[in-house]
Amino acid sequence: MKTSIEELEGKIVATLEGELDTAAAIEVEKELQPLYKSEGRDIVIECENLEYIASSGLRILLGILKSAKAAGSKVTLRNMNDDIKNVFQMTGLISLFEVE
Amino acid sequence: MNWLKKILRSSRIRNSLGVIICAAVLLELISALQYYNAHRVVERELERRAEAQMWFKAILIKGMLNKTEQLLYDYGWNIQSTLANPDLVGSELQFMVDANPDVLSAGMAFTPGYYSSRDSLFELFAKMEQGRSMSQQIASATHDYTRMAFYANTVELGEPNWTDPYIDSTNYSNREMLITTHAMPMKDRQGRLAGVFAIDVSLDWLSDTLNARQAYPSSFDLLLTESGSLICKPSPQHANVDDVDQVVRLINDSTVARQQSSSGLTKVIEFRSNIDGDVGYIFYANMKGKPHWQLAIVCYDKEVYGPLNRMRYMLLLSMLAAMALLGFIVYRFARNARNLHLASIEQERIGSELRIARELQMSMLPLNSGSFPERDDINVLGLLKPAREVGGDLYDFFVRDEKLFFCIGDVSGKGVPSALVMSVAHALFFSTSSHESNPAYVMRIINETACRNNDRNMFVTFFIGVLDLPTGRLRYCNAGHDAPIVIGKEDVKLLPVKANLPLGVIDDYQYEGQEACIEPGTSLFLYTDGLTEAMDKQHNQFGLQRAFDTLERYCGMDNVVLEEMLQSVSIAVEDFVNGATQSDDLTLMAIRYTPGIENCLLHDSLALKNDLKHVPELNKFVESFTSSLEMEPSLKSKIKLAVEEAVVNVIDYAYPLDTVGDILVEAKSNGTTVTFVISDSGNPFDPTEAGKVDTTLSAEDRPIGGLGIFLVRELMDSINYEWINGKNVLTLKKKYKS
Repeated sequence: MKTSIEELEGKIVATLEGELDTAAAIEVEKELQPLYKSEGRDIVIECENLEYIASSGLRILLGILKSAKAAGSKVTLRNMNDDIKNVFQMTGLISLFEVE
Repeated sequence: MNWLKKILRSSRIRNSLGVIICAAVLLELISALQYYNAHRVVERELERRAEAQMWFKAILIKGMLNKTEQLLYDYGWNIQSTLANPDLVGSELQFMVDANPDVLSAGMAFTPGYYSSRDSLFELFAKMEQGRSMSQQIASATHDYTRMAFYANTVELGEPNWTDPYIDSTNYSNREMLITTHAMPMKDRQGRLAGVFAIDVSLDWLSDTLNARQAYPSSFDLLLTESGSLICKPSPQHANVDDVDQVVRLINDSTVARQQSSSGLTKVIEFRSNIDGDVGYIFYANMKGKPHWQLAIVCYDKEVYGPLNRMRYMLLLSMLAAMALLGFIVYRFARNARNLHLASIEQERIGSELRIARELQMSMLPLNSGSFPERDDINVLGLLKPAREVGGDLYDFFVRDEKLFFCIGDVSGKGVPSALVMSVAHALFFSTSSHESNPAYVMRIINETACRNNDRNMFVTFFIGVLDLPTGRLRYCNAGHDAPIVIGKEDVKLLPVKANLPLGVIDDYQYEGQEACIEPGTSLFLYTDGLTEAMDKQHNQFGLQRAFDTLERYCGMDNVVLEEMLQSVSIAVEDFVNGATQSDDLTLMAIRYTPGIENCLLHDSLALKNDLKHVPELNKFVESFTSSLEMEPSLKSKIKLAVEEAVVNVIDYAYPLDTVGDILVEAKSNGTTVTFVISDSGNPFDPTEAGKVDTTLSAEDRPIGGLGIFLVRELMDSINYEWINGKNVLTLKKKYKS
């Protein structure tokens, strides 16, 4: 599981790669801490190479979304594969995020 | 006038008014006809009475007059024999006056020059003078009798006759007296006319006769001469003087309209009284024979028809009273009819609401046919026959997480109140068991609600069963309900149950659950007391034994059709009651358990510790197991996610914090379905009891956790939890190939 964060055109872009299972989630949550402090900047989660996500991963993204919304910024999920999109649909979370 | 309009607008009053008016018109017509007839009768009667009275009074008068005529005739002979000597004539006259008190005076007026020894005019006259009779010659130049009516008429007629009555105030004690003279021609033996013999009689008795015995209080009689002058009139206290004058005038006035009475004997004149304008009737006729006087009787309308009119007014009054009464009756009748109409509408409304309630209640129950067509391990069927439109019986069943939840209950009483309680119990059963698998706990929750505000002391007997379908383990709890019947391979017996208390009695009652193992091929038969207490006309009860007898033939049967089983019991009950009214709701439910034998083609297992760091290891195990099966990549991903979530749930919750424990994950496949069994020795924990996740909430409201078990349910076909031999056993299944 790899994560990286960069700033691009005033947005925070976090790239997730590999399998975000429950074990990996502990580490990922720490690494994504900066996203909890978006300070009004929109957030983009790049999912092109995200292969798998468990409910613990969903929890992290929901936490980020909640703090971003409180700060008035949007969270966009980009390039999700079908399996991951399916999980978001099943849980109803897809309607809460911006999806590209 | 608004009130009048309001009254007329009310159809009830309008109808009543119509009926009353019709009745009044009818009654008025009848009474008018009656009045007309009665008037005719009274009119006839009046004529008859008037004529009878006239006839009677005429006879009286004639009788009196006849006496005088006879007297004149008798003494005429004596006078004739004394004609030769005028002095003897005078004595004879004197004698006559002496002998007959009714005769005021007697006289003999001779033909002028009859006696050559006397004056040409010679009239002898005898009367009582101071108690003595005396006679004298009264003719003189001033008293020329030949010019007097009695003499002239008699000579002219040549026969006895009466003069018209007249008032004399000089001849007799200086008192006014009504007098009439009866005279006859007197011939001597040679046949010459000697003169006229006459006597005067008083007519005072006439007025007594006429005033006596009147037909009506104000009636009076009159006597008139042939020429119409009044002879005798009633005293002023008997009759009004003006009316008397008017009557005389009318009789003499030939222009006045008069009618013949219906007998033709009298004439009738109608007139209007001068006193009060009242109508009067004059009946009058001439007396037969001489004198040809006229007798008249006067009657007044108000006296003749007074009683009739009074009767008519009485009738009118009583008719009005009757109309008022009729009006009241009709009004009340109309109101009652309207109330009746309203009541029937109300009844219709209640009836239709009850029908809707029945449909609703029936729709709350699982469909009678087709319980679980997709399953081959379980089949359930229920049947409910309410005694009324709605009933207090219920049954329900559903499968959740590979467990069959079922219940049957009976609310005390029947009808709507029971149905309402039943609905509450049913809803509670459904909502509680959707996240709770322990029947005793479900029972406690329903009981608490049933006890709250149970003022009517309604109680519910209830039986809840939870059959674990993979293992056949039945957990159940009874609340005063009849024990279910177990139809096994060899025999039919009752499921051993603790009675416990019915629901709604004690709010903190600790219901105890029980367990039993249901062998494959066994049927359960549940019922309410509507079965055992079904009564025939002699009040014998169906009883449990008859149910046993009916169910016995299903022992050991391979292909039991539940519909047939329930129908055979239902028909047995119908045959038994034989047309007696169904006294209680009848509910039957049958469950048939036929699990297939697991055919395991592939088997693998993985032992883990309760640490999240083992999750990648678990995921690899699942990936390699599913790779060996033919299934789509996305399905593999789903299964991996579901198993991870289930195991993570166990890691998080099964063991107390900082305690190391074992978790065993077994993977099986029968060629079409993949099964994962996750078992641990931790605290009993049923993840299937986790509440549902609301996927429609907004980001702000959405809780962070709780998605794990939700995802397992969504991704797998079934999830089943059991506590078996001190272990939590969670079974996940997914069909990957049809």
